[in-house]
Amino acid sequence: MSDLLVFVLSGLVSGALYALLATGLVLSYSASGLFNFAHGATAYLCALAFYELHSGLGWPAVPTALLLVCVASPLLGWGLDRLMFRKLARVGETAQIVATIGLLVALPALGLWVVELLDDAGVSVKPAENQFGLPGVGPSPAKNWQLMDGVGIDSDQLITWVATAAVALGLWILMRHTTLGLRLRAAVDNRSLVELRGMSADRLSTVAWMLSSGLAGLAGVLATPLLGLSAHDFTLFLFVSATAAVLGRFASVPLAFAGGLGLGVLQNLVAGYSSFAERITGFRTAVPFLILFAGLLLLTRRQRTAGTAAADAPPVDYLAGRPWARKWGPWAMAAVLLAAAFYTVTTPFWSGILAQGLALSLVFVSFTVVTGLGAMVSLAQATFVTGAALVAGLLMSHGWPFIAAALVGTCVAAVLGALVALPALRLGGRTLALATLALAFLADQVLFQMGWLRNGDTGWEIPRPVFGPVDLSDDRAMGVAMVVLCAAAVAALGALRNSPSGRAMLAVRSAPAAAMASGVSVIRTKLLLFTLSAGLAGFGGVMYASYNTRITATDFTAMTGLIWLAVVVAAGVRRPQFAVVAGLVYAIVPHLVADYVTDSVHLPVVLFGLAGLALANDPDGYCAAISVRRHRRRSTNPGAAGIGLSEATVQAPTPPQDSGTPPALELRGLHAGYDGAPVLHGVGITVHPGEIVALLGPNGSGKSTTCRTAAGLLTPLRGQVYVAGQDVTREGPVRRARAGVLLAPEGRGIFPALTIEENLTLHLADKHAREAVYERFAGLAARRNVTAGALSGGEQQLLALAPLLQEPPRVLIADEPSLGLAPRIVEDVFRLLTELRDAGTGLLLVEEKATEILGVADTVAYLDRGRVSWCGPRADVRADRLTEAYLGLAASGPGRAQDAKAEGEGAVRP
Amino acid sequence: MSRNVRVITATVAALLLATACNSAATGNSPDSKGSSVRGVTDGAIKVGGIVSMTTASGYSKKDTDLGARARFARANAEGGINGRKIDYLGAEDDGQDPAKNLAAARKLVQQDKVFAISPMSSVTFSGADFLQKQKVPTFGWGTIPSFCGPTYIYGFGGCMVPMPGGTISQTWPEGLKQVTHGAMGKTVAILANDNDAGTFAIRTYKQSFASAGYKVTFAKSSVPATSVPSDWSAYTKEILRSDGGKAPDIVVSVMQTPYNIGLFTAVKRSGYRGVLTDPTDYDPGLLAKSATKEALDGVHILLTFEPFETRSAAMKQFKADIKKASGGKDVPLNMHMMTGYMSADLFLSIAQKAGQNLTVASFQKAADGFSDTGTMVGDRALPKGQKESFGCGALVQLKNGAYHVSSPFKCYEPIPFK
Repeated sequence: MSDLLVFVLSGLVSGALYALLATGLVLSYSASGLFNFAHGATAYLCALAFYELHSGLGWPAVPTALLLVCVASPLLGWGLDRLMFRKLARVGETAQIVATIGLLVALPALGLWVVELLDDAGVSVKPAENQFGLPGVGPSPAKNWQLMDGVGIDSDQLITWVATAAVALGLWILMRHTTLGLRLRAAVDNRSLVELRGMSADRLSTVAWMLSSGLAGLAGVLATPLLGLSAHDFTLFLFVSATAAVLGRFASVPLAFAGGLGLGVLQNLVAGYSSFAERITGFRTAVPFLILFAGLLLLTRRQRTAGTAAADAPPVDYLAGRPWARKWGPWAMAAVLLAAAFYTVTTPFWSGILAQGLALSLVFVSFTVVTGLGAMVSLAQATFVTGAALVAGLLMSHGWPFIAAALVGTCVAAVLGALVALPALRLGGRTLALATLALAFLADQVLFQMGWLRNGDTGWEIPRPVFGPVDLSDDRAMGVAMVVLCAAAVAALGALRNSPSGRAMLAVRSAPAAAMASGVSVIRTKLLLFTLSAGLAGFGGVMYASYNTRITATDFTAMTGLIWLAVVVAAGVRRPQFAVVAGLVYAIVPHLVADYVTDSVHLPVVLFGLAGLALANDPDGYCAAISVRRHRRRSTNPGAAGIGLSEATVQAPTPPQDSGTPPALELRGLHAGYDGAPVLHGVGITVHPGEIVALLGPNGSGKSTTCRTAAGLLTPLRGQVYVAGQDVTREGPVRRARAGVLLAPEGRGIFPALTIEENLTLHLADKHAREAVYERFAGLAARRNVTAGALSGGEQQLLALAPLLQEPPRVLIADEPSLGLAPRIVEDVFRLLTELRDAGTGLLLVEEKATEILGVADTVAYLDRGRVSWCGPRADVRADRLTEAYLGLAASGPGRAQDAKAEGEGAVRP
Repeated sequence: MSRNVRVITATVAALLLATACNSAATGNSPDSKGSSVRGVTDGAIKVGGIVSMTTASGYSKKDTDLGARARFARANAEGGINGRKIDYLGAEDDGQDPAKNLAAARKLVQQDKVFAISPMSSVTFSGADFLQKQKVPTFGWGTIPSFCGPTYIYGFGGCMVPMPGGTISQTWPEGLKQVTHGAMGKTVAILANDNDAGTFAIRTYKQSFASAGYKVTFAKSSVPATSVPSDWSAYTKEILRSDGGKAPDIVVSVMQTPYNIGLFTAVKRSGYRGVLTDPTDYDPGLLAKSATKEALDGVHILLTFEPFETRSAAMKQFKADIKKASGGKDVPLNMHMMTGYMSADLFLSIAQKAGQNLTVASFQKAADGFSDTGTMVGDRALPKGQKESFGCGALVQLKNGAYHVSSPFKCYEPIPFK
């Protein structure tokens, strides 16, 4: 019994560190929706800084720690947020994951590089290598107190515990009892709504990143005596604490905190009582990752279908429809030249490096399948590589021929892939990524520790194959063979893409629900992709191992897989040929840099990590960016001329202006659209204070785009937006909201995870104003502590609009406020809107239910294919005009307008 | 689409044909053809090194390079080897990355055209097969299986990985007998990391200690290998009750320094007064920190070379060489310097024996049957050293902030590995 007590008590201490890291993870995840793989690296950086300042320069411990935790780390978080995370929050999930993986290697290298520079400059820093038993904040060596027999605690543990408890309390107060905390939670819930309500989500995200970074810093300083200066250990520690973040579902700080503590205890209990697993080498090492995997499986709410990452819009394929030679000619030429180069210009050394890069390219192409085609992030590719190569090596040691062994190895990798995919597929994007990472670690620590499979540290020999006269033990022959294999892989994937199953895959990627409706099995497609990708990785792995002529179980670890993904995505994961480029770049560039640029080993790593920064700007990678940018530059001029022409012919009629007060909202000649798809062609609408303007039009006429442009969510290509006479065209949604323009977006404008009271508080800081709302809406009053997500649709819409009555905005733009509501509720909603008008608000209403809205509107505007085709007082509205508005003005058919909408919205709406 | 396939097929066929012609024509003969020998001129022998200097784990062997530099500098100062100076290019950093290790080996051989590689000290040696195939004599720290078997690869202290059919060095238990005054009735607990290497270590040391006469009461590879436990109570409890409820006489840790610090601190806090020992913590740098000094106080540490505390002529020479190579400064000594130094020393000794006509073949001939005695790694003999370790070692004890020799440097007879 006393054993149990000891295990629990001391487990709580180690759990405290997990809790700190997990809390930081949850905060940063909440702020920008990205799982920060570099969180452990931040902690490491702080530990390094603490060591250099305290031990190297002799600064006093406690002030140094405070400086680092309260100033330096938040500053780092601020800087990273400004440079990267803010932009990353808007790009696809793969780019997000990869950018932070880049940081994971760049931050420690940056720290070491700075130490190197300081050392060169004569500052008395200490070397950061081979440092053990480093002092923490407390006395060193730590003081120890025996509480009772066998139960002791030392000063470092005590400090960790006290600091963590203080942080827990502080965070709780911040999140639950301050306006800032409420806004942070609102931003977690619905980022764009926060912006529409006039709160800067960017600023909130900065605060969250500063907090998160500070927590990482604290964990770093506290963990210094335990982990020393090993960036690797800090990162592993982070992955373990990710389990706690999963327990908190990446949203709940208290749950993550408790999860961290519990994890520490559980780990201790397993260490103390898991004698049953003693015969399985690696079991105890793998426990945290087992828990992580189980946690992911059991606790993740199913958000999207079958492992789909957040939809990231594909880059426009500017070569679509061009002849084969234009599309593939340059690539085919490059391949032939490369193959020829092996026998003409390259030295033996470079032949070897190129062959290695090409062999790796085969592995990299597998990312194109799983991530490019399937939109799933797999961090287990290195596992498939190791698995296939080990099996092939094992078989070859028994005399199997190369081809047969490679085939079996490939199949084993494919089976392994299916096994990984089966449980993981029901998870969403980053959860899937984490699950594959957990499995990769499990494989490293248990599967590849099996003696018969790994053959100790010797591994297995995989001699290069010889086919008749072709002997691949010559690097040049190997290189040419790899060119051929890469070309075959690229061509095969191209053919797959254009085949029916390839189209099914793309369908599953872009619209799983629609794909399911058309009879495509999402799960089967995903499983197929994962299996295919694993098999390809396995085959590439056997080839790569045969380049090395040997495979050992530690050649490709889970961490290697992380780096690989980063390298591929940085180049572009959508097309297999980009993966080949990535493989070559990965093999060649380090040598070029070492030869011609710098001797420092840290600088190239820092530069590699900074590729993440580039990814924030070009989420589709540098290969894709080249062609996209070139095309954009080329297409700017003719495009503008086309739009100018159309404007000249159409003149939108505007209602007469009041001479006194300026209009509440005025749109003048707005042109707007989504990447390459113009939607609005000169929309002009004026809304006066105390006026309801109804905007009618068929699907795809640009109603929602008009709303988004008016609210500042979309920047117009041309034209102006005036609010109360002020030009606000260039201002974002936050500034516009502060100027008094509110958009009630399509769907419900509430924060579902916050309570009714909290939703109201975000609008109405004044308690009396909230009470007034409750008085009027008794239904809300009775359930003020219920989360808004639990309300019915009508109640949610009322909750969104009710607080406006207390402080009427200057302009309210409502996009289909009655969508999906029962008729009785619609009446309530319209009554509310009329009251707002009477209070002086200018309203721009977009509605499908034309007959009902005509009952309240003062002015009616018809929108047709991006132009206002008619605008006038409600009294002048005739039934035939209404019909025309909905049928899309007979002439050139509604089909085209429909296309415009589909295209335009597809590009922006997830 | 069909055109696509046709073009690709045609290209592939053409390329395969070209490959077949070329690889048939050129074959794959290593570079050392004709009269000139790779890396050897009348006046110089070119030598390179591969060392893990920067790593994500914070563990670095970079002083290996300094050690090699020191030894080569002395050889040159003494007039070189048979009239040839050693042109040491310095060590390539492999960052403990297998891909970089192989690339470094390729660069040294194919681009820099070195005659030999010395030192090669890393945790990974994926360049081994390449070096063996290219016939590049390579010298380094034999803790990797590649040092056991391949004919061109030599460990400075022999092959230190017990191989099937090979032997286990008895240095550790035999040395401990000095400390425990014999093995009779003494009990031992061995703890290792929970991975394949740990399991292998348990297997060998269990046999090793038992055959030296100790009673092994506990031998487990159960400490998580990826992160240092912040709390050791679960392990210490089990160990300290392993001798029928009592604590064993000796606690042996086969783990790295951060683990040892945690384990030994916890064991001592729980009142353990027996012998603590490990094979990794001989690093005078550890004495610089009060925490490590206290945690490791009293621990007996195994070394496979002469302790720096010995006053032999060779050790004096070593210290002088190191001081000279580091620009006259008194740098704290560590085992990586010794690794580099003795790797270089073994290479030089064989090259000396190979004589004036230095080729890879003459070098290999000289290595076969090479032996000498009384070096800082004991009595060296080849090719025996490519199958087993030279079997020599010492124990030092850390006491009051300084290392003291607790069992002097000596060579012991190995036992067959079962």
